[in-house]
Amino acid sequence: MMKKGLAAGLVALIGLALIVGTATFLMNLEYHAPVQTPAGEVTDTPRDQGIADLKAAQETKDKTKPYVEAEYRAFPKIGSRVAVWIAAQLHLLFAAFVLAVPLFALIIEFIGYRTKDKRYDRLAHEFTKLLSVSFSLTATFGAMLTFGLIILYPKFTTYLVSVFSPTFLPYVGLFFFEAFFLYTYYYGWGKFSPRVHLALGLGLNVVGTAIMLIANAWLTFMTSPSGISETGALISTWDAVRNYTWMPINIHRIIANVAFGGSVAAAYAAYKFLGAKSDEERAHYDWMGYIGNFVAICAFLPLPFAGYYLAKEIYAYSQTLGLTMMGGAFSWLFIIQAVLIGNLFLAANYYLWLGMGRIQGAEKFQKYIKYLLILVALCFAVWATPRSIISTVSEIRTMGGSSHPALGFLGVMSAKNTAVNILILTTFVSFLLYRRSGKTPTVKWAKAGNRAQLGIFVGVAAFVIFLGIYGYFVEAAVRIAFSIPQVLSVLLAMISVTVIDVFLFKNAKKEGEPRWGQIAPISQYVLIFIAVTFTWLMGLMGYVRSGLRQHWHVYGVMRDTSVDAFTPTLGFATKVVSVTVLIFFLLISFVFWLANLGGKKDWEPKQLPPSDEGPTS
Amino acid sequence: MKFPPSLRIAVLAVATTGFYTYIGQMVPQKEVYPPAEVVLTKDMTPEQMQKVGLEIMSGKGLCFTCHTVGKTSGPLRFPDLAGVGTRAATREPGISDVDYLAQSLYEPEKFIVPGFNPGMPVISKPPIGLTDDEILAVIAYLQSLGGTTTVTMQTKLAWQAGGSGADAGAATDASAAPAEAAPAEAAPAPADTAPADGATADTAAGNG
Repeated sequence: MMKKGLAAGLVALIGLALIVGTATFLMNLEYHAPVQTPAGEVTDTPRDQGIADLKAAQETKDKTKPYVEAEYRAFPKIGSRVAVWIAAQLHLLFAAFVLAVPLFALIIEFIGYRTKDKRYDRLAHEFTKLLSVSFSLTATFGAMLTFGLIILYPKFTTYLVSVFSPTFLPYVGLFFFEAFFLYTYYYGWGKFSPRVHLALGLGLNVVGTAIMLIANAWLTFMTSPSGISETGALISTWDAVRNYTWMPINIHRIIANVAFGGSVAAAYAAYKFLGAKSDEERAHYDWMGYIGNFVAICAFLPLPFAGYYLAKEIYAYSQTLGLTMMGGAFSWLFIIQAVLIGNLFLAANYYLWLGMGRIQGAEKFQKYIKYLLILVALCFAVWATPRSIISTVSEIRTMGGSSHPALGFLGVMSAKNTAVNILILTTFVSFLLYRRSGKTPTVKWAKAGNRAQLGIFVGVAAFVIFLGIYGYFVEAAVRIAFSIPQVLSVLLAMISVTVIDVFLFKNAKKEGEPRWGQIAPISQYVLIFIAVTFTWLMGLMGYVRSGLRQHWHVYGVMRDTSVDAFTPTLGFATKVVSVTVLIFFLLISFVFWLANLGGKKDWEPKQLPPSDEGPTS
Repeated sequence: MKFPPSLRIAVLAVATTGFYTYIGQMVPQKEVYPPAEVVLTKDMTPEQMQKVGLEIMSGKGLCFTCHTVGKTSGPLRFPDLAGVGTRAATREPGISDVDYLAQSLYEPEKFIVPGFNPGMPVISKPPIGLTDDEILAVIAYLQSLGGTTTVTMQTKLAWQAGGSGADAGAATDASAAPAEAAPAEAAPAPADTAPADGATADTAAGNG
């Protein structure tokens, strides 16, 4: 009774405080006559009349207020640019994931269908578990980005609408179809015949890719506008769509999305592996992590080539734009990129080397790891060497310029192209050794096959290095063209060696199956490191693609006249990228957690112990 | 003390992003602002025009993104501008230095310096979009590189608004000082994808 009385008193007190507070607030809004009006300023206007006059004056003012179209509006605290930047980046990260996962889930499902191995089907299903929430988050950030642009950059958005309005309806329609395919694909797992289900997956991929192609047209138009007059008036929407950088971005994004999606899916497997309670669980998630990482690295290897194509088209559109990117304000960004890609290669190789530990008979290859590590480290060092270095005046005098007299030679593209190609070859060798672990070829031509593979590797490496060195002695026009034979020869080596390897190890004698789950736990942290690095790299490259326009919304057509019409420092950009990456991982952890909930037991009320008193009736 | 995997993962993610952010702080930090408008008056002296011309080339014109002045070592990405003031008069037969330099800015594709690829943008159009007066100042500076500045702010170029067209003929000076025939350098070439050679703009400024 005492407690109830106290509670009632407390409630009464709070109620009283609320009433007094509300009354005070309302009274403050009321008109108050001055406490003491100077005699000379006393007005004869009655109070009610004064209030009515003020109201009428305000109404007249409101009616005649001219309409002024806003060019920009400000976002509080962080500013419009950073707000749109973060929304766009998060939208792109989730969109990349939602586009990539169905692509390799479909391939894995197809492998399971062909091989009748249920493990693949289960794996593909598990990958798609991550999709539905990610799809919602993609749409949410897409809406945030759209509203952000409409509110904060109305003039620019109106211009983009004037050029691309015919693409909006197909976009919305495709988005609807994507939702249809995605949910049917996921919820229909095991409910349809395999062929129908695979067709649903194919539909999901086709529609998803089409959506990406449309969105890519909008953003690439901003960098390399076409299909418009000199004053920016629309001539042809189709020409605006197929601008210079549209197709290179399409290709680059599809490959990068797969690499990114694979790495995030591998991170999910790592997260599950580390929390696994049984050996069976550990084995499954070890295998899942391996597949995810395999997908990521397979897509990662050709990515630099797609990057070359994109850069080439940027130069073809505008030499100034290309030079701004690689030789101007953004040149140091590519040193940061080199650090990231170098780390990715190191981590990918390290994971493969750790993976050899779970295969019986891999010991004979482990002695080569140290040489591979030296090669990777050397290539990494060359790639990360800047052309000019930060120095004091006396240091510049001593060096005879801002480039180091010896190391400066490694800072040019001849050296960097060579380094990245050798790096790709080395990683491919690591993968090949992993693939061969625990197997002995039984074909008669095994020795010849091995020699042929070695010959291809040595020949291509020598050719790549030769072109790299020769590049120092020729003019730019010739030197730039060298990157194509370098790239093609590396691709040729990878394809031909793989083909030989497939036949070489057909019906090979196995010393033992991989002992899935028996891998050092640090390998799982490596997978997470790879995923974070991939995400960060995507953020950084998204920044350069967009920042390249500098003080233009649409390059050469619509100038940025806002307070943000300057290119921020790289230090600032990296901070924004880091914040975005951390937000992404926070949200993707939520996706992982949700995906995990499905396997948990249903909630049930706790069983209370029987009461001593029992029912009274 | 054993930490749960989720905490370790979180620490790893924060540490990795922190490391990359740190790398981002280690590289040179520079904010790039839109080019400032320069003040041009019709009564500028040749020296004043040269000074403003250099300013425009270093900023709004973006010239030193591609061109160098006095680079002696290593292969060139684009024509080096040292001595262009004298070369311009003899580069194309029958074309004065002023006209050659003007043509290289208004119609850069018309003449490509042997050994280089086309690639120079039309300087009078966006995104660079120099005005006619700004281009006169740039020509004044280019003439000073090994030659003598003869162009004035009154010089009428065939390409200017209201001019008689690109092929119509030589520049005329409203103050009756005829444009001296001298050669020019023009179209730059392909781009090298090497990272920034910070020396280009500095070198140019040093020779200005």
